[in-house]
Amino acid sequence: MTLRDLVLVRLGVAVNLVIGQIAAALLLPVFLDAVGTILVAALVGPRAGIVAGLVSQVLMAALSGNFSWLPFGIVQVVIALYAALAARLGAFARARTAIAAGLGLGLVAGSVAAPIAYFLFGGATAGGVTVVTTTLRVLGAPLPVAVAAASIGTDVLDKSIAFALVAAILRSLPDQMKARFPVVSR
Amino acid sequence: MTGSSSGGSPLHRAHPYTPLALAGALFLLAFAVSTPRAVGLVVVAGVVLAAVGGVLRHVLRPALVLALPTWGLLLVLHGLLGADPRVVVGPLTLSEPGLARALVLGGRIAAILVAFLTALATVSPPRLVEAMAARGAPFGLIFLLVSTLTLVPRMRARAAQVLAAQQCRGLRIGGSPLARLRALSPLVLPLVLGALAEVDEQVLALDARGAVIGGRRTVLHPPPDSALERVLRWGLLLGILAAYGAKLARGGA
Amino acid sequence: MKAVVRLRDVTFTYPGAARPALAGLTVELLRGEVAVVAGPAGAGTSTFLLVAAGFAPRLTGGKLTGERELLAARAGIVFATPWTQLSGLCASVRDEVAFGPASLGLPRETVLTAAERAMRRAGAEHLAERDPAALSGGELQRVVVAAALAPAPDLLVLDDPAAELDPAGADELYALLPVLAATGVAVLVATPDLERAARAATRALVLDAGRIVADGETATTLDGTDVAEIARAAGCPVPLPLDVPGLVGRLAR
Repeated sequence: MTLRDLVLVRLGVAVNLVIGQIAAALLLPVFLDAVGTILVAALVGPRAGIVAGLVSQVLMAALSGNFSWLPFGIVQVVIALYAALAARLGAFARARTAIAAGLGLGLVAGSVAAPIAYFLFGGATAGGVTVVTTTLRVLGAPLPVAVAAASIGTDVLDKSIAFALVAAILRSLPDQMKARFPVVSR
Repeated sequence: MTGSSSGGSPLHRAHPYTPLALAGALFLLAFAVSTPRAVGLVVVAGVVLAAVGGVLRHVLRPALVLALPTWGLLLVLHGLLGADPRVVVGPLTLSEPGLARALVLGGRIAAILVAFLTALATVSPPRLVEAMAARGAPFGLIFLLVSTLTLVPRMRARAAQVLAAQQCRGLRIGGSPLARLRALSPLVLPLVLGALAEVDEQVLALDARGAVIGGRRTVLHPPPDSALERVLRWGLLLGILAAYGAKLARGGA
Repeated sequence: MKAVVRLRDVTFTYPGAARPALAGLTVELLRGEVAVVAGPAGAGTSTFLLVAAGFAPRLTGGKLTGERELLAARAGIVFATPWTQLSGLCASVRDEVAFGPASLGLPRETVLTAAERAMRRAGAEHLAERDPAALSGGELQRVVVAAALAPAPDLLVLDDPAAELDPAGADELYALLPVLAATGVAVLVATPDLERAARAATRALVLDAGRIVADGETATTLDGTDVAEIARAAGCPVPLPLDVPGLVGRLAR
């Protein structure tokens, strides 16, 4: 990593921590806590994305006091790898392909998060997802199914919005800045 | 948001790694044990730690605020909806294995919260920076963990400015979920593009001042570390290994 | 006087840019002089600072052709916005100023002495114990200047350094530049504030569209900017010519 990559990773972490609050202020039912990870993975590459994701997870825990979120750091790693690959394949070039790629990531990330939520926390994790889990369970779904459905459902929505946002950011970059990032300038 | 509190407790005076090691050990221990009673002991240990640090009141309130909703959901998910046989607890008829599971899971969350909130309240970030640098942690790692914390409040302030500016220009942030979703990108784009535009200046300023990612810097105020604390931290490591060894010997779960 | 940088027919193009930002520059900068770099927006004054200090293309990317001799052992840089230039790691101004020499791995006593000297020079010693996050923009810019001086650069480049300062703060900043130059530092400042810069600078370089159109003693060279006024009055389109041959050429067209 170069000093510039380091500064970009710090930016990604800050974006992760701040955009979630904007989403909450808009009363949107999504966390959007990985926009920075996706952005850094797309601009710089998978390694920088992974670092951004893991540091974000640690700092989110530190700022909220909720350290039970730490094991979900592995989801950030998956997000970074997927986003870097998606960028290389040109998924961010258009809003439609970005949203489609985001849907795919939602399935993948939700599938990774669900076992963590189930085995480590018995399905009780962050607020919104747990409410969905509980509702499904009350409606009669078995616990593992309820946890998986809630996790994947929220992630699909969350990640397709996040991918659409990152695609919009990349499209709005001034040409001179674009030229500095080989993946985007192609 | 939580933060460090000033104070002269043994945890405040200790080397910054010691409270962090204690919190980390309780975190791992909470997952190493699996009976309600053992998890309860870990919670008690966490509360004792907070009391030693003189931050019990500072820590218990946020811990309860964070844990209560999860406890409620665990009670519904496992206590009410769990498998038979049932036990009667006050006005409720609850699943017996479900209740035990809810206690274990709820206790783990409580122990983790109390332990790490205590560490956060007793470790000051600048002292941690010095401790890490003195131990040879690379500049890049320290930079990411600490300097991001100073960037976040500035970005939050800028987010508020962008929101006010866009509202002046007629952006409405109420209405249907779809309308609120549309309001997202006019808020996010200026914020992120503005931050990206500052990257070059930040890189130049750091480089001109000799910052190197893997570089080792001169430590100006190294926090003192005692032999006793070092022994304690190694002891914690051995204790954790023993706890996981016992868990494996019992056959997991 | 000894040179800190020599450029011979240097052309620099940013990545992805169709046209070079600087073209065919030949110039030599000397220790002990304060040179002001003037020119209309887009003339390349900021880029000139980066190329002269060796930051471009190393940190900015892009392509440099021609001959460049960088003879400065260390270059410092100061921008208009102080908050992008802080390390974000330090709880006191003293530590922030010491960040540069500490990054170089100098002995602790040397680092602290260098920080004290730099704070004294930049008029920031009364802020030494303050938290950088709690300072006003003007106070912070003093800290930034002190931080840039602490690693003892032999070339200091400043890009519109007083843009965020009040008039008194700007006066003080520019008054500091000849004092620095007297210690053997080469000072290069780009700014549209020619009035203040003219008082501090011994030499003026005027750029237009990436080329040096005038280079000489401040008083005579910056008087040439009157040419721009005449050109504007005569209805020339921008970029306005800054020297007499340029004006004659334009009017003849």
